[in-house]
Amino acid sequence: MPSWLQMAWERGILTTRYPREGARAEEVPVTGRPPVPVSALDHLTEAPARCPTGAITLEAVDQGKCVRCARCLGVGFTLSGPVESSEGRRADLVWAGGLPGAQTNDGLLAELGRSVHVFMVDVGSCMACNLEVLALSNPYYDSQRLGIFFTNSPRHADVLVVVGVPTDEMVEPVRRAYEAMPAPKAVIAVGACPISGGVFAGTGGLKPSLEAVIPVDRFVPGCPPPPIAILHAILATMGRSRTPPGGR
Amino acid sequence: MIGPAVHVRSPESGESNRVLAYWAPDETVAVWNNLSKGITEVERAPGGPCPPHLRKAWAVPPAEPRARCVGPLEQVDGYGVFTFPYGPISMGVPEAGRFDVRTYGERVLDIRPQVGFKSRRILGSLSGLSVPDAALRIERLAGPFAAAHAAAFLAAAESAEGRSIAVRDAWTRAAGQELQRIYNHVHVLARIAEAASQNVGLAQAHALAEDLLRLTAATFGHRWLFGAFLPGGPPSHLAPADRGPLRQSLDLLTQRFERLWATFQDSRTFLDRIQTTCAISRDDAVLWGAVGPTLRATGVAWDDRLRTPVPPYNDLFLPLATEPTGDSLGRLLVRVLEVRSSFLLLEQMLERWPRNEEEPVAPAAAIAPGRGIARVESPSGDLVYDVTVTDGRVTRVSTRTASDANWPLFTLGMRDAVFTDFHFAWESFGILFAETDR
Ligand code: SF4
Ligand code: SF4
Repeated sequence: MPSWLQMAWERGILTTRYPREGARAEEVPVTGRPPVPVSALDHLTEAPARCPTGAITLEAVDQGKCVRCARCLGVGFTLSGPVESSEGRRADLVWAGGLPGAQTNDGLLAELGRSVHVFMVDVGSCMACNLEVLALSNPYYDSQRLGIFFTNSPRHADVLVVVGVPTDEMVEPVRRAYEAMPAPKAVIAVGACPISGGVFAGTGGLKPSLEAVIPVDRFVPGCPPPPIAILHAILATMGRSRTPPGGR
Repeated sequence: MIGPAVHVRSPESGESNRVLAYWAPDETVAVWNNLSKGITEVERAPGGPCPPHLRKAWAVPPAEPRARCVGPLEQVDGYGVFTFPYGPISMGVPEAGRFDVRTYGERVLDIRPQVGFKSRRILGSLSGLSVPDAALRIERLAGPFAAAHAAAFLAAAESAEGRSIAVRDAWTRAAGQELQRIYNHVHVLARIAEAASQNVGLAQAHALAEDLLRLTAATFGHRWLFGAFLPGGPPSHLAPADRGPLRQSLDLLTQRFERLWATFQDSRTFLDRIQTTCAISRDDAVLWGAVGPTLRATGVAWDDRLRTPVPPYNDLFLPLATEPTGDSLGRLLVRVLEVRSSFLLLEQMLERWPRNEEEPVAPAAAIAPGRGIARVESPSGDLVYDVTVTDGRVTRVSTRTASDANWPLFTLGMRDAVFTDFHFAWESFGILFAETDR
C-alpha cells in the first residue's frame, strides 16, 4: 500500500509535545480553559446572575459546575485558567476567590508502573465527552506512547473513565463495571456532567453526581474537557503528571 | 412521549408518502414529506399519547419508560435460537445502549436496539427556562450534532415568538452546521476504517477529524459549537479579516480529505467489505421514513436544505448527493459527496458573505399562536423541533431526530446479516443513542 505510506510520510509527525512541553494554543480551545476573574470576586456582582449553572458566587468559582458557556466573559472573567485543572478531591475544584489552589497529584496507580489500561463508560452523556476521550488515540495525542491503552473489558482495566450524568437506568451497570475491575483501580469523572450534573443539574431521574454512585478518584472539569486535560488527568493518577524535562 | 418515525397513508392524497410523526401527551404531529409533489406538510391531530394505527407497528413504551425497544417487532424463534445482549456498556459502541440480537450462532435473525438507558429527561426539564437557557441544554442533547439541534430549536422558538434574526446570524448558523457536518462524515469514515482494521487510514481519518475540530474551535470558539449561536457565547472569528485565513484552512483540509478518500478508494478490500452490507431497499426507506444519507443512499433525492430553503441555502449552489445501492458503501459514498458539497457551501459563503449583515430575516410563520416548527438537515438527516414559547419562557418542546427515524432501517438491514457485519452496518447510519435518549 504505497499510497498510505506516502500519505503518512507527507503529513509527518503530528503528535503533541505534551507532557514534555506545555500545551500549545491550538491544542486547547478558549472554551477548554477554566474561567478566572480579572479582579476581586466580590466586586463582580453581575457575574453570579449571568452564570447559568450557579458556578460563580461572590466567594468562589466552582469549576465542577462550570460548563464553559462563556457568558461570564463580558462581566469580569476570562477563560484563561490552566488546562490541567483536574483535581483528586471534589472540594478542590471550588476555587476560593476564583483562583486555583494547590494541584493535587495523587499517583494512585503509581505502583502499576508505566502503563495503564483504560475503560470508558457512558452513563448519560451527549457523546461529545466520549469523542474527546477517544480522541486520545488519534495521532495528535497518541496516548499509547505514554503507556495509556484502551481496553474492551472492565476486567482488564485499571482506570474507569466515566462520561455523562448518571441516569437512574445506568446506576446498576456502572456499579457492576466498577466492581468487575481488579484492584488497584481509579475512577476518573470526565466533564461537568458526572461531577455536578452540568447543565442538567437538578433534573428528576438523574443522580446529582457520579460520587453518589461509585467512589471517584479524579475530577476533570469542562464541557467537554479538551483531550489534553483528560490526558493530564490519566497521567496524574499514574503519578506522572509532573514529568521532568526530557524524561518520559 | 416522542415516538420514532412511522409510516401511515396520507389521508388526502392516498399515495404512499413518507411521514414523520411524533406524539406529545395531548396530540400527534405528523410531518409529511410528499415525495411526488416535493413539498412538506405539517399536520396536527388531537388525541392520546399514541394513536392505535401507529401503535401497531411499534413497540410503544409504557407511560414512564425504562429501557425500551425501537424498531419493528417480529418474534423469531426456532431450534437453538437465543437472545444475545450487547451493551449497555461496551467499547465497541462507545455509548450507553443495548442491542438484543436474536441468533442461533453466527447469523443475525433479528436485532432489537434497546434505548432509554441514558435518557437525561432533557425535554421535560426545559419548561420555564428562557430560550437561550433552554438552548444550552438542547446543544448538549447530542454533542456532535449540536449545531443542527441549536439551529433547529432556535428557529422553532423564533417562529413561535415571531422574532426575526439578523442575516449574519442565519449565515453563521449555516456555516457552523456545514463545518460540523464535515466533521461527522469524516468521523463515520474513521469508524468504518476502524472496524475494517485499516489502521493507517484510521489514523489519517482520525487526524483529519481532529483538524476539523480545531478549525471549528478557532472559528467559533468551541470544538463542538456549544454556545456559538447564542448571545454571549464564546468569541467567534468570522469577521471579514478572518475569512481569508479560514478559506485557506478550508482549502488545505479539502485537499487532505481528497487525498485520504483517494487512498481509501485504492483499497479494494475496504470497499468490498462494506459493499452490499446492510442493504435496504428504496421501498423500505420510504415506508419506514428514513432520513438523511440513509434515505439518499437508496436513491431518493430529499434534503431539507433544498426542500425548505432558508437563508443562506436559497442563495447558494448545493449539489444533491444520492446513490442507488442502499448499502453501507452507498451511505458512505453519499457522505463523501456531502463532505465535498459542504466544503463548497462554505467556500461560497465566505466568498459571498452578505454586506447587509444587520438586516432582519423574517421567521417562518407560527403554526399556532406561540408555537413554531423548524426543520434542518442534521448530519444524519432531517431534524424537527416543535417549540411552544409563552411570555418569553419555553413551555413545551418536542423533537423528532434523525436517529429516531433511522433506527428501523438499521434493524431491517441487519436481518440475515452476520455478526461481523455489525460495526460496518451500525457506523454507516450515524445513529446516536444520545439523540433518542434525550
Ligand atoms: S463559563 Fe462557567 S462560570 Fe462562566 S457563566 Fe458559563 S458556566 Fe458560569
Ligand atoms: S460534560 Fe458537557 S460535553 Fe460532556 S457529556 Fe456532559 S454535556 Fe456533554
